[in-house]
Amino acid sequence: MIAVQTVLTRLLTHPVFILAMIVALFFGAAWLTPGTVAILGFLMLNIMLAQSMNLLTGIAGQISLGHAGFYGMGAYASGILMKTAGLPFIVTVPAAGLIGALTGWLLSIPAGRVREFYLAMMTLAFGLIFREIVREWDDLTGGAVGLSGVPSTTLRTLKVLGFSLDALDYFRLVLVVTAIVMWLVHNFIQSHYGRAFYAIHASEVAAGCLGIPRGGTKRMAYTLAAGMAGLAGGLYAHMIGYLGPESFDLARSIEVLVTTVVGGLGSMAGQILSAIVFTFLPEKLQVFAQYQFIVYGLILAFSLILLPRGLAGLLLLPPRFIRPASLRQATADGVAIRPVEPGTGAGLSVDHVTMRFGGLTAVDDVSLELRPGRITALIGPNGSGKSTLVNVISGIYRPAAGTVRFFGEAITGLRDDAIASAGLLRTFQDPRLVPRFTVRENLLLGAHRRYRTGLVSAALSLPAAAREEATFLSTVDAVTKMAGIADVADRPLESLPYGYRRLVEVGRALLAEPRAILLDEPAAGLSEAEMALLARLIRAMKDAGLMVLLIEHHMDFVAELVDDVVVLDSGRVIYHGDIQGMRRSPAVIEAYLGTPETAHA
Amino acid sequence: MEDFLTLLLAGVSVGAVYGLIAIGLNLTFWTTKTMNFGQGSVMMLCAMLTATMVAGGWPQALSILVALAVIAVLMVFTETWTVRPALKIEGSMGWAVSTLGVGIVLQGLASLWFGSQALAFPDIIFTAIDNVVVFGVHVSLQYLAVLVLALALVVVFEALVRGTVWGQAMRAVSMDQDLAAVIGIPVRWIVLGSYIASGLLAGISGILVAQIGGTVDPAFGFELVIFGFVAAVLGGMGSTTGALAGGIAAGVLQQMVGGYISSAAQHGIAFALLILILVVRPQGFFGQREFVKV
Repeated sequence: MIAVQTVLTRLLTHPVFILAMIVALFFGAAWLTPGTVAILGFLMLNIMLAQSMNLLTGIAGQISLGHAGFYGMGAYASGILMKTAGLPFIVTVPAAGLIGALTGWLLSIPAGRVREFYLAMMTLAFGLIFREIVREWDDLTGGAVGLSGVPSTTLRTLKVLGFSLDALDYFRLVLVVTAIVMWLVHNFIQSHYGRAFYAIHASEVAAGCLGIPRGGTKRMAYTLAAGMAGLAGGLYAHMIGYLGPESFDLARSIEVLVTTVVGGLGSMAGQILSAIVFTFLPEKLQVFAQYQFIVYGLILAFSLILLPRGLAGLLLLPPRFIRPASLRQATADGVAIRPVEPGTGAGLSVDHVTMRFGGLTAVDDVSLELRPGRITALIGPNGSGKSTLVNVISGIYRPAAGTVRFFGEAITGLRDDAIASAGLLRTFQDPRLVPRFTVRENLLLGAHRRYRTGLVSAALSLPAAAREEATFLSTVDAVTKMAGIADVADRPLESLPYGYRRLVEVGRALLAEPRAILLDEPAAGLSEAEMALLARLIRAMKDAGLMVLLIEHHMDFVAELVDDVVVLDSGRVIYHGDIQGMRRSPAVIEAYLGTPETAHA
Repeated sequence: MEDFLTLLLAGVSVGAVYGLIAIGLNLTFWTTKTMNFGQGSVMMLCAMLTATMVAGGWPQALSILVALAVIAVLMVFTETWTVRPALKIEGSMGWAVSTLGVGIVLQGLASLWFGSQALAFPDIIFTAIDNVVVFGVHVSLQYLAVLVLALALVVVFEALVRGTVWGQAMRAVSMDQDLAAVIGIPVRWIVLGSYIASGLLAGISGILVAQIGGTVDPAFGFELVIFGFVAAVLGGMGSTTGALAGGIAAGVLQQMVGGYISSAAQHGIAFALLILILVVRPQGFFGQREFVKV
């Protein structure tokens, strides 16, 4: 099975094969019947729609239940702009994409503050209302009768840059546009943007703590996906020449979603296979048209559960998120942890921080300080408020009182991604990585805050973008060697045992080049050998001048490493000093062992 | 003035039904942080089955009970086969897709069985022209009956949630499923129960709306769910008082816009309201800012 998948993947995703297919379609279309050319044109649009939905749902983990709305926005925009305002094709079709994108952006404004399904419901509402508005606003859209007379190839009225296009020419144009868009999307997915989309999909909290803003990333996903759908709509308008509201109803949105789900969420190649199936099959099965909707419903209801990775999962290897070209450019001279410039001010200081959950005070007036090049242990019984304190410092919780300063600047109440972007990183008690990413991809995600490559540069895969990626990949190599995980670097994380995952998570935080790092029980569940590797990493952090906060229960591990110890009990600091002093402190002994019995009977 | 009062009553009455739909959505949101995206088809099916049975000569009350029983079975199926397996896939919104899928299947089956034409919905208590004159204004008895029934259901629902062991158990499940399971609450049954109750509320709402509108067709329901969702969000997701207030606000606004501006704008208004509220105050007017435990 794997062998078949490997061969198919190599073939179908090989640049030469893809180029050959495009060239064959471009020239071969001349020998096909006009009917077949028309269906191939629809295939291109369906591919674009499926990829748009895949980018949104498969990669970014967001859902659109009103994709036909975005598609229709583009179609009506281009149709009306050309027919009524007389604008040329090269203006109206890009405008269709932009209008689609703007709609997607508007819908996703609340993305940072609400659960995902709010946005899903909003897209569903948008799709339904779009159709109603088109029907009612008949001065502009032609209403229920539809908008006819849009310049198109069927009417021989379409001119592009002064040339009159026939159906064959137009198919070639759509083919080339689709191929270019696919190439851009492919580059995008294999850049730090695409990985950030997937990180939001896997865990918003973990992504936020790497400096990936959840609201902004989701808005970007909706904007790009809706823009692609709008562009497809613009192309559709001039293929048909007539636009009716029923072409953009719920059934159309469902069709796009079904195509994407069947193709396999996350796989671009799967989307193309699925688009082929869903473009040609309904043509062949006209007799079953009345059951089509029911079949689509059944597919949606069960395929994610029965066949979660779709056709791609059956036929192809999982997609990867780093460009092979960048991998080849990586060098062996990467430095795992670069020395940190000592900043001004007192490192990280926590001043009188209090955190309450309802009536429970989890952290009560806690103050502590981290200094560059020192390791501070945060110790205390279960439930003493250690993780809560880390959550407050890293911006996940907003404290009821007190301030946190990072190099003199107050960071209390900032968003988690802003705090991570300032160089304050953390790991989680339960490793929060992207299960389907390889170790290497997970580590590279850590570097997110350091990327300077812009959207255009990433989508065009410009040399500067590849160079930057290669630099970080060199660092990834160095970190995997230091953490002892180099031999599993290309294994998907979900296939690795727990100990490795912990080391990967610590390594990922290092890729962010942190100035301070908060480690929440990094040694829990590690073997002796893994613990030695972890200790080596932590010492290297100290030597490089990082501030380290280490929450740990394993006392031998802590004793070997730490400079300072802070002990919490019931949310309060009960001891602050060195480790020898801690062992003698009556307050600490009492917290762990209880009050000694003084009265004997 | 009479126009205004008529629109107001229609708005409050339809709005109370939106509130019922919203409470149905809230129920499953409480227990599982999910909601049935195919809820519109549940409303449609309940109304269609009732209309068909009544047209076939069955007594009205029996028809309604049978339709509700079918809905209850359907919800057991939905929860067991589409929501629960999808929730096991972590970090996925699969449940939104799978519940929508069930809704689509139901809509497709309804078109197949009943045709895509609208069925006439029988008059259950009053006809559309029955009315009483209050202070010189004609008030539709149908609207009044729907309003009274919807309000009564909200009150009964709230009493059940606050006053019974099952209601308490449901609130415990909504706070923390794991903890609820540890202290011996049958979480599995509570979740299933919340889906059944949610479906029953949707079914009753479907009958009430069909009664006002006079007809029901396979596509009936999808837009109603949007109004229910708007009501829930407006009032604050999870709040019963909020759902009712949000529903009435949405209903009145919809009728006023339809009556005084245009019937075209009537469709867009709910959506505009939804965007506005999510941008300005995503926790709604009665809800609390959601706290996500890490």
